[in-house]
Amino acid sequence: MSRGLKELEEKVFKKDLCTACGACLSLCPYLRSWKGRVVKLHDCGLEEGRCFAYCPKTGGDLAGTGEQESTQRDEQLELGPVRKILMARGRDPIWREKAQSGGVVSALIDFALKKKVIDAAILTLREDDFLPKGRIVRNREDILNCAGSSYVSGPTLEALNRGPWNGEERIGVVGLPCQAIALRKMRSSSLEKRTPIDKVGLIIGLFCTWALEYERFHAFLKERLGQLNIQKLEITPPPDRLLKVYTDRQLTMVPVDEIRPFIRKGCQVCLDMTAELSDISAGTVEGIEGWNTVIIRSDQGEALFKEAEKEGMIECQSLPEDHLNHLKEASLLKRRRGMDVLQEIGRPEGGKG
Amino acid sequence: MSSIAENNPGRVALLMGNEAIARGALEAGVKVCAAYPGNPSSEIIGTLATVAEEMGLHVEWSINEKVALEVAAAASLAGLRGLCAMKQNGLNVASDFLLNLNLTGCRGGLVVVVADDPSGISSSNEEDSRIFAKLGDLPLMEPASFQEAKEMTREAFNLSERLSLPVLLRSVTRISHARGNVTFDELPRSFKKPEFDLSKPWSAFPAIPNHKILHERLQKAKEIFEKSSFNFYRGPEKPDLIIITSGSGYLYSFEAVNNLKVEERVGILKIGTSWPLPEEFVLKHLRKSENFLFVEEVDPFLENNVKELFAQNCFDLGMKRFFGKANRMIPDVGELSPEIVHSAIQTFLKVKFISRPEDYSRKAHEAVVEMVPPRAHGFCAGCPHRATYWAIKTALALDGRDGFVLGDIGCYSLGMGPSGFSQMKTLHAMGSGTGLACGFGQLERFGMEQPVVAVCGDSTFYHAAMPALANARYNGANFLLLLLDNSATAMTGFQPHPGTGFTATGRVAPVIDLKAVCEVFGSHVEVVDPFDLEATVEAVLRLISAERGVKVLILKRECALVSGKRQRRVFQMEVDQERCLGEACGCNRLCTRIFRCPGLMWDQKRGKARIDEAICNGCGVCAEICPASAIRKV
Repeated sequence: MSRGLKELEEKVFKKDLCTACGACLSLCPYLRSWKGRVVKLHDCGLEEGRCFAYCPKTGGDLAGTGEQESTQRDEQLELGPVRKILMARGRDPIWREKAQSGGVVSALIDFALKKKVIDAAILTLREDDFLPKGRIVRNREDILNCAGSSYVSGPTLEALNRGPWNGEERIGVVGLPCQAIALRKMRSSSLEKRTPIDKVGLIIGLFCTWALEYERFHAFLKERLGQLNIQKLEITPPPDRLLKVYTDRQLTMVPVDEIRPFIRKGCQVCLDMTAELSDISAGTVEGIEGWNTVIIRSDQGEALFKEAEKEGMIECQSLPEDHLNHLKEASLLKRRRGMDVLQEIGRPEGGKG
Repeated sequence: MSSIAENNPGRVALLMGNEAIARGALEAGVKVCAAYPGNPSSEIIGTLATVAEEMGLHVEWSINEKVALEVAAAASLAGLRGLCAMKQNGLNVASDFLLNLNLTGCRGGLVVVVADDPSGISSSNEEDSRIFAKLGDLPLMEPASFQEAKEMTREAFNLSERLSLPVLLRSVTRISHARGNVTFDELPRSFKKPEFDLSKPWSAFPAIPNHKILHERLQKAKEIFEKSSFNFYRGPEKPDLIIITSGSGYLYSFEAVNNLKVEERVGILKIGTSWPLPEEFVLKHLRKSENFLFVEEVDPFLENNVKELFAQNCFDLGMKRFFGKANRMIPDVGELSPEIVHSAIQTFLKVKFISRPEDYSRKAHEAVVEMVPPRAHGFCAGCPHRATYWAIKTALALDGRDGFVLGDIGCYSLGMGPSGFSQMKTLHAMGSGTGLACGFGQLERFGMEQPVVAVCGDSTFYHAAMPALANARYNGANFLLLLLDNSATAMTGFQPHPGTGFTATGRVAPVIDLKAVCEVFGSHVEVVDPFDLEATVEAVLRLISAERGVKVLILKRECALVSGKRQRRVFQMEVDQERCLGEACGCNRLCTRIFRCPGLMWDQKRGKARIDEAICNGCGVCAEICPASAIRKV
């Protein structure tokens, strides 16, 4: 079977399953992203390519590649590999102010850079246009610029492929579940690598229920709000489920049901809510403002987290039982819905994508 | 090289057919010559422009063929001799004026040369323009040799003055663009003063009396043509077959009859004055045989006219058999060749002749296949159009709404093929891309969501797209017009136009500024250098999503061949083969497989790209597209 751009186009782009994770970008001149879409510019003609190999939507079995062996003993049905689940937040209020929820991800990256666990991190930047793009960060100011959510997925991993890298840097990546899958596929691919995936020593995954299509979502916001500068987007927990849009002049609330039509189809078939292939996963704690749910999954994740706690960068609490149950339910629900959609479109489950 | 302006009667010169026509005009004492460039006619005015000063002529590249004909006609109405030249498509443009000028008639000799292009070698169509002679009741002559091209042109002026009618002279590619010996006659010295006679207005209206006069003049033409030496018969008195032919068909027929050695059985009736048909002359030869074969390019013009004549006289003539395009003995499309005539004669006479061994083609192919590199019909090395279409393709792909490009006539027509990444989707007449955009740009109200983009060259813009652009603004069409301003009429040989700042004879002229014209028409206008790929992509993307209305993006970059004549290449290019990814994932020969500038070569032995230094014009665009930065400007 061919495993090149042509197949990627047939199996992913044409079926609208791309989530614009960015793993296939800046590898070649044939693919480019534009407004949250990955676009094929020309036929590449190769039978096999990294674009297909790295894509989180082309399936492939990650078991047996050594990626999961160390974590198999902790495997949980609902949440993947788990060492520890708790509630945490960055101790410095600056994280909570700028970031979503407790700012624990920003605080951990800041700590990892300071401790030289990593030399650079790839985060997602949203400029004034709220279009996500990958950004290589090396200091606190850059981290703060990247804090917050846009509810739109973007080609973060392109920054890993694009660099520039000096060859020796250790890299941390903060990404969505699909991006964590892509990183694992990059690592296990036998194709010649020109991406410093072997230097990626830390993956922090973000919980994700879905992401929106950039163009349609922002056309909707523009129609609803007019030409307003959006400062921050936030979704409130159930039962309200409101999208809060903060602009420089006003706060507008939009029921989440109104933006559901813009959910990417690639997200509807996703089986992974909690970024199971990361070292540490983090999300909100529904109903408890200013805190994150954190799942520690690997040795590296555990070591980093412990040290950050010891040095007072983050503070922790145990996650209340009902919240844990709710998290498991939500994760299972996403998986079940994803399986249903996969069956509907006649595509068997492949990997964790 | 001899000059066509030499006054040296008896001298024999090797001339291109178009030069022979120009010489004929000079021998006729032409004073005003005008044309819009179009192959295969371009060298007529091109040659006359080079001797304009010496011969005291006014020679101009007009904005289009209709204006060119009007300019030449003005000379005629003032009593001077005027010549207008064009290709077959040009006559369509000029026809509106021509089909009124026939009714007013003219005064000084006025000759309209139309060079047709059978097989459409350098044209979008292979229209047979002779039908316009019949349509407009105008005399038509068809030269069959280079000498005749000169003689007929001179005679056409005399005839035009005798009849007070413009005369059509129809050439074809193989007459206009081939060379042969031509004997010069004397160049006249006339110092006639042009004058407009106030007592005689020129009006096509009222049509009926003018139409009647036109028919009387055509009848007179027929009488003159009966005695014309341009019509002749060569062959036996009682031939088995007579070939009736005109123009280039005569030489093909002559060659075929000679090759088959059937001079004793086959006669050739050569018609030089094709319309009105010299009926008595033709009837005389129709009595000589029972079998007739028509050999002419492209349409069955003679064939049908002679059959009409036969039908009118069949009671006297008896049974005849006619062969030609109607019974498929001669192809009804494309250029003819001696081989085609051979095969028609062989079928009829059952003679055997092998023009070349059966496996000749195969052997010839085998002999050269190793030596001749495959070449696509495409843009030159360093052509700005390649960069333009690259940017268009990128922008339309990124935009993702299936935007499409409407095009027309110019080098950029190659945008329909791989050289332009198949971006151009329509190709009709001059300026039709912009005209179609006026229509497509109104279809949003019916639910069309695709962005509409038109491309148009600078010369084509002045020729035919200006009215469309005014229309677009007036009627509120929504599209993006890309004006590909390469500062030349490049496809026909770099003739100047109103935007270039000089005229056909090299005089400095005021520049009609493209940007200013578009702005006056109320368009939003921006200018970008197509060699700056990212800036061009950005501009196209932005403008196809901009507010509705007419947007014009001028892609300004001189034709690579024009700038190459003046200066050395901008950059010396080289490929760092260490960096070149070749066929690996990450490139797979983007430069030689997709971008395909002829200045880039695939080094098969090393599996890497390299520069063909003999061809590269050093534009530097390939350095921008190379994903590995292996192609460098030195």
